[in-house]
Order: sequence, then C-alpha cells, then structure tokens
Amino acid sequence: MERNIAEINEVVQNATIHARGNSLKHRKKRDPTRPAARWITEARVGRERGTALAVVLSTIGCAHARSDSGGCTMCSYLLDGVEESPTPEQILSQFRLAMAELESKSAPLSIKIYTSGSFLDPDEIPPIARSEILRIIAEDKRIREVVLESRPEYINDQVLSGVRSILGDRIIEIGMGLESSSDTVRSVCINKNFDLNAFKIALKTAKNHNIGIRAYVLLKPPLLSERDALLDATKTIQEAKALGVTTVSLNPVNVQKDTLVEKLWSKGRYRPPWLWSVLEVLRNAGSGTDRWMKIVCDPVAGGKQRGAHNCGKCDTGIVEAIRQFSISQDSTVLQNHTCECISQWKHVLKHEDFALVVHR
Amino acid sequence: MAEFRVGRGHDGPARVGEYILGPTTYITPLLASSFTSSDTIIAYGALDRDSPLSDKPMLVALPFAGHIDDIPFSKIRESDAVILPSLISFASLSSDASNLVLKYQHEVLSKTTPDLDASRTVIRIPSDADSVLLSKLTEVGPLGAMFSFNGHLGPQDFGAIKTRSRLPLHMMTLAAGRIEPGLIPLLYYTGFDVIDVGYAEESATASERLWKNGSEKIELGKDRRYCSCPACAKLDTAGTKDLQGILLEHNLSIYRSVLSESQEAMKTGRLRWLVESSTHNSPAQASLVRSVNNELYSYIEEFSPTTGPKALPVIGSESYHAPVVQRFRDFVANRYTPPANKSIVVLLPCSAKKPYSDSKSHRRFASTIQSAMFGLESRVAEVILTSPLGLVPRELERIYPAGQYDIPVTGDWDAEEIEIGASALATHLRKFSSSAVVIAHVSGGYLDIVRAVESRIEQSLIYTTPEGRATSRPSLEALKETLEDIKSILNLSGGPRTELEEIVSATADYQFGTGAGNVLVPANAKLKGKPYRMILCSVDGEQVCSFVAESGSLSLTLAGGRLLAPLKRYWVRLEAPKVKGGSVFAVGVQEADFAIRPGDEVFVINRADDVIAVGRSDMSGREMCELTRGRAVSVRHKKE
Ligand code: SF4
Ligand SMILES: [Zn+2]
Ligand SMILES: [Zn+2]
Repeated sequence: MERNIAEINEVVQNATIHARGNSLKHRKKRDPTRPAARWITEARVGRERGTALAVVLSTIGCAHARSDSGGCTMCSYLLDGVEESPTPEQILSQFRLAMAELESKSAPLSIKIYTSGSFLDPDEIPPIARSEILRIIAEDKRIREVVLESRPEYINDQVLSGVRSILGDRIIEIGMGLESSSDTVRSVCINKNFDLNAFKIALKTAKNHNIGIRAYVLLKPPLLSERDALLDATKTIQEAKALGVTTVSLNPVNVQKDTLVEKLWSKGRYRPPWLWSVLEVLRNAGSGTDRWMKIVCDPVAGGKQRGAHNCGKCDTGIVEAIRQFSISQDSTVLQNHTCECISQWKHVLKHEDFALVVHR
Repeated sequence: MAEFRVGRGHDGPARVGEYILGPTTYITPLLASSFTSSDTIIAYGALDRDSPLSDKPMLVALPFAGHIDDIPFSKIRESDAVILPSLISFASLSSDASNLVLKYQHEVLSKTTPDLDASRTVIRIPSDADSVLLSKLTEVGPLGAMFSFNGHLGPQDFGAIKTRSRLPLHMMTLAAGRIEPGLIPLLYYTGFDVIDVGYAEESATASERLWKNGSEKIELGKDRRYCSCPACAKLDTAGTKDLQGILLEHNLSIYRSVLSESQEAMKTGRLRWLVESSTHNSPAQASLVRSVNNELYSYIEEFSPTTGPKALPVIGSESYHAPVVQRFRDFVANRYTPPANKSIVVLLPCSAKKPYSDSKSHRRFASTIQSAMFGLESRVAEVILTSPLGLVPRELERIYPAGQYDIPVTGDWDAEEIEIGASALATHLRKFSSSAVVIAHVSGGYLDIVRAVESRIEQSLIYTTPEGRATSRPSLEALKETLEDIKSILNLSGGPRTELEEIVSATADYQFGTGAGNVLVPANAKLKGKPYRMILCSVDGEQVCSFVAESGSLSLTLAGGRLLAPLKRYWVRLEAPKVKGGSVFAVGVQEADFAIRPGDEVFVINRADDVIAVGRSDMSGREMCELTRGRAVSVRHKKE
C-alpha cells in the first residue's frame, strides 16, 4: 500500500507540474524594491485588540515550488515572486516601505512577514537581510508580536536563537503549512513534501526558543470529498492542539491560477469547500476546553466561486461571522446560522463519499 | 458471503438477478439510496460516518486510507457489501492514475481477504480502466463493480458504459453519481443492475421536481405542473419546511416508476424501444445512445434475443441499427441463398400487416403472379423491400423480426433508409443469375431504392407501376403482362411446386448458417403441412425439423440435431453424458458456441460428441460458459 501511495503521489506531482505549465515565464515584472503586497488590519495581539501589518516580500519564491517536486497542488504564490533574487538592500527597502504604513498606529502592533515561501530560507532571504529586518522591528517598541513563515526544513537552533536574541521578549510565531496531520493527505492531495515528523521536530525546536507555531490547516485539498475534507481538517486541528501549536490558521482552499486545483475546478472535478464546512470545522475546533490556542480563519475569496462558498444568499453573513470569530475568538458568533442550502450541503456530505462524483 | 445470481431473460444486456447479502435477497434491477431503504431500495453510506438506516444489509463505502490499519474494518456489519476506497477525481489526472485506482484497490483487497470475503466487495472502476488490470482485479473475486456518472452524458459517462461492457458477466454492476431518471432505461439496457438515486435528493434540496425527462423548479404558491402522486397532493397546503420532503418523495416515485417501466419493457421485449424513445430527452442523451449503438454494437447484440414480442416498434433513426434489425440484414446478406431455378425476381413493397402474405395488397400480388405464371410460380423469387430491414425474401417473411416489426408506413424514407435498402438489394441481386429478370413492382420510396441500385446490378430491370401505386389495377395488369411476356420470351418450363422446401431450407440457412438448408432439406426430404401453420420435414422416414408459422422458425428433432452436428454451429457441450430433466443449466455446460443468442434453436452434445438433446437457448453462448447458474437451454427432445 505504501508503494501505491508513493505512486499516487508521483502522479499528483506530475499533474501539478503540468498544471503550472510555463506560467512562470509569464510572471509579471516586479519592482524588486517594493513588496508584492502589504495591508493593515484590525487584529488580536496577545490578549488585546490592536493593529496588524502584513507584508508579502517579493523574493524568488518557495524553494519547493521552484524545485522538480512542483510545489503544492493549490498554491500559486510563486507567481507573486520575481525572477531574479533581489539583493539584501532591495529586500530591506521593500520592508521599510511596508513599515511606513504603521507610522500613525499605536501599540499593540503585530507584524506578519510573508514571502510566498520561507522567510528563514537563506536562498530566499539572505541572512543579512533577515537580521536587518528583525533589527528594524526590535527598535520599534510598539511591536509586540512577530509572525514569520517557513517550511520546517529551515527551522533549526542556530537560526532561531538568532531570531530570538534580536527580537527580545516579543511574542514570536512561525507559520508552518502543516495543512493536514495525515501524511497521506499531505503527500497525496497536497504534494507538500515534508512529513509530520519534520513538523514535530521544527515545533520542538521553536519551543526551546520560546517561539510559537502557527499551524496552517488546509480545508479541502483536491481529491477529497467534502466530508473527507471536513473530517481531516477537524482531526488536524485536534492533533495540532495536542502537539502544542500556539495558533491554528484554517485556510479553506481557494482556486489559484495555474494550479492543479484550478485545472480540476475548471473541469467540474473540484469545488472549493462549503462555508458550512468551514463553520463546522471551526465549531468542532472551538469545542475543546483548552482555550489558550488561537484559531483564525480568513476565507480568501469567501462567497465567490473560486473560494469557500454556499448558495450565494447566505455567504456574506457567514464569512463576516468567521472573520469576527477570528478576532474575538468568541465561538457563539458561529452558532445559529441557517439557510435553505444547508440540506444541499448535507446531501453532498453523504453522496460524495459514496459516488465519488464532485457536486456543484 | 455474497452472491449474485443472474436470472432468466434478456433484452440486450439487461437482465434480472438476485443480489444476496447474508439473509437478505435483493431482486435486481434495484435502486440505491442513502435516505431510504426497502425491499426495492438498498441503502448505502460511508463506513463509520453514516449510521445504517436499518438492520438490512447495505452498501458500505470505505474512505480512502494510506494504511490498511486506518480502515476501521471492525465496524463493518456482518452482511454488508463493502465498496473499496478510491480518491475523487483522481483517475481523471492521467491513464497512470486510472491504473493506480485499480492497483490500489487490488492491494486493499489482498490485505483484507480472507477476513473479508472477496465476494462481498465492490470495486470502483474508472471510466477508462485498463482491461488487463481490470481483469486481474476481478479475478480476485469481487462480485460487485461500481461506476461513477457525472451526469454530463459525455465521454466519462460513455466510458463507464463501455468499460462495463468488458466486465465478466457474473458481476453485479452499480451505476452511481448524478443519474437523472431519464437515463435509467439506457443504464438498465446496457447491463447495470443497481442504480443510485442520490440525484432525487440533490434535486429536492434545490427545490427541483424531477420528471421522466427534465425537471421543474418549485416555488410554493406559484404555478406548477399537475402531478397525480400522493406526495404532490400535499403541496397545496405545504409550508416551506415541508417542501423538500415532499419533493424528495415525488422525485423518488419518478425513479421507481421509470425503473418499473424499464423492467416491464424488458420482460416484454420492448426495452430497446424505450431506450430509443429516451433519445428525445436531450441532445446529450441522443448522442450517448448513438455512441452506445455505434461503439458497443457487438456487446448489445450478443444479448439481444432472436425471438421477441408480437409487435416490435421500429420507429426512429435509432432503430436502423438496432441489433435485431442489423442482425436480420446481416443474416439475409450472408446466410440466405436463393434457390437455383429462379429466373424472375419480383420486388414488392412491404405491408403494414405482418406477415405480408396476410395483407390485402400481398394477396393481390400473389393472385396476379399465380394467374400470370400458372404452374411456373416456382421460377419466381419474391423479394419485399422494406425499411429498416432492407429486404425480406418471401420465404423468410415470418421469421423474427420480419414477421413482427411495426413501422410507420408512409413510404417517405430518409436518405439513410434508402441507402440501407439499396445496399441490401444490390447484395441480394448479386446472388441471382445475371440472366434473370428483375421486375420492380414498387413505387414511392421503394422506387428510390431500386433507382439507387440500377447501375449496380447486372440483371435487366423492368418497372411495372406506370402511374404510381403498386396495388392499382393498371399496375397489377402491367405486372401480369410483364410476367407473361418474360415467361414466353425466356421460354420457361415448370417443375413441381417447391414452396415448402424453399421456406424450410431458407429458414434453416437463416437460423443455422449457410449449408444448413441443404443438410436439413436434402433432395430426398419429404415435406408436408402449410406455410401459415406448420411444415414437417422428414428425411429417410424420420422427422428432422418442423417449421412453426407463428415464430417463423424451425424446431429441431434429435435426428435434425444429428444432421446439423457436422456443421459445428449452435452447439452446447455438456460435462454430463446425458441430459436429466427438461433443462440444461449453465453450471453443467462445458463449452458452447459463442454465436448462440438467447432464443436460438440449439443442439446439445456430450464429450463424446453425441447429440443428446435439442431445444431453445435461454442465454447467449458466452453466458452458458461464464455463468454458474441459471437455465441455459429449455430442452425439447432428449436422448433417453
Ligand atoms: S504552499 Fe507553501 S510550501 Fe507549498 S508551494 Fe506554496 S509556498 Fe511553497
Ligand atoms: Zn445558503
Ligand atoms: Zn408528484
């Protein structure tokens, strides 16, 4: 069976590479001195309400996506990257531009640094640039929380002790795409290319430096039925909690350009999750007694065809409730939603498992 | 242990059967659902996710797993059938993917047996499954096969039907997915035994009411179609919260009624007609039926009986290549040989009444020919032109389906019908001497057929319908004069009447292949009887066969079987030296001629090649070999 799974993974990998095609050649030319994106949101910082800055640095992008393994089935972040690796100076100028957004904001602040890959990968962000960025943060007393992103293979004692020593006693979280706690789902449906063990080791290393882990949990990778997906995400959150992650970020799949997901979706062989499933997973996750782990969810393209959606009538209210929950952690906002389409969703849960035909 | 027993009867690959799970026997065809179960609806659900609807055995789907230990086998109830796991949409990625779906299930199957009896398992088969891998998997012993339909009626759905046609005959086959009621006749016809009605629920949750062809959005308080079902009677007073329940009940009743209609049609030999009618449901369905007709012809034909209902409707262009129709044309073209002494070939139009001889028009033709030829009738070959059978030699006018088919007889034929008729006629006339004279006593569309072959035939051709109708007095006069002229020009001489010999001999060739006529009706054969009742044929004082007018076919005696045996066609070989009882069962058949179709006259031999019985087949030759149950031959005579 293990051999079959490996072979299945190989087919998925090839299909993923194929779906990407030569889209990379058509990447937009970007100014290497400006970040790919930056935005400010209201957010929970520690136990208070505050402001968060998110910045997506333009880099050459995720090494896994650049490699022969083809990247993940749902991810086209690589398209946000630039063709040639920016110099450390250019990266710093990207970061400073983003920081300017915070000028007028007051404490507490949170900073999230995304790179369409791994912030801790020295090929993406040269160590000099990394330390310099962290130093800029360290000089700003308003900033209480820092969130970085990295695949587990770049997380080690040396790198983390560097990060910790610069940032002092700030709350630090590293976002890692756990996606699923099942190695089968993570490899076969996502092509993530690391196993649960790698995640656990990274988590332990981070803990030793008092650095938290924000686990990204994927809701509904391709090749799963709606209920497979719902159960897998629920179980993943439970296990992530048991492993001691500090935050779970639930990510309902949205259909991104030039991905395997998009290819399947365009042929009616994939449908993004129902918002009912998102609600259900969040409710299940909240039902544990352990209140210190944060759960956040921001359904990208929520209510749209390419994102988690329901019938169209009830979508806006549910997406809003999910956002509210992410800020307040108050699970009562997830209760008492209803709509005619709920029975359609219940039908899908049962019928897809049996018929293995994707429903609309 | 599970069992699937194929029962008697066929209309195309459609069949009846019994799917036996533990103490429960489900009669197929059968519906399957996740929301209700009964004697006629088997329940399904996912293992450990859906709780069973009742104590009765159900179809349990296993979720996909990376390790065998991840499957909670202990939760499977004792008699449930178990559907092996797969990944949704995976097979569509590549042909490798589709192969892996089979390999993965093979692996699961090998890890679960013997704890889980293989007969209880149902394999999921991708639309484009590789034949070799598929047969390797089926050899492990799963009794069920499942196909997923996305409801677009496109390549995936056709692929499912096509792959189904390659399955071993003893497997129960299940059609799942988005299956609208209007597709049921085709699915049943193409050999699906269990049909998923999940779409009844999907539509109900979207406030849609399904019909035999199409659907209707229901909004309370708005106009809607009339429905006589008890559920819909509640619609007038229903509140919003009752709506889905009512629609589900209605939708389910539509599935039941379409299935029941299909079952009835199968029993009466009209399923093909029902399928042909369903092509009008939608353009997509019409293309699907056409693909089935074109690409799966031999599969459908193999199970299409050679006997059928008293009136076989043959209406639209879908009928032109229906197996019984196409087979008739093939047999006339390839098996029929006209008697050597025919100098005149008269082409006649068909009649609505069957057999033609019983119609007014043909009685007139007969008396005209008789009075013109007067004692030399045996020199005339009569050929009836018709669509879509092409043509029918007079001797074969009673055989199925020539004696039973029912067409709109307006005489306007489309280009395809004319081409079918023309090519049949050209082939047919090549079998006559080039010095014979062909008289075309036809008009309208029939005339178009003759005109189309004028340049392709060697014989001289005379038209005898000066002003249109074949039955008008001037036409009949012209026919009479023409015959008389030819009689004298060719200086024809007579011979004894040979009608009985010709009928029996032509029928023998048609049923058993070229040469059978000479064997069963040698020069010294003695015939007696009437074409419209029964003709008995004896050789050396022993009866060899009888022609039964009602079916237009021959029944053999043991002596007849012995005469035919050297031709090595239509034989069934038994393991046992002798036949016991009135039937031969498939379990006792060692081998059989794959040319045998349900309804064929066959002879039974033993290992020593002795002819030990004769009778009618109840299944196709391949079924006799592959199935381990069921009646193969209804024995008429046997060696004591
Ligand atoms: S999801 Fe993360 S690891 Fe996967 S390709 Fe995208 S950036 Fe790389
Ligand atoms: Zn809704
Ligand atoms: Zn009704």
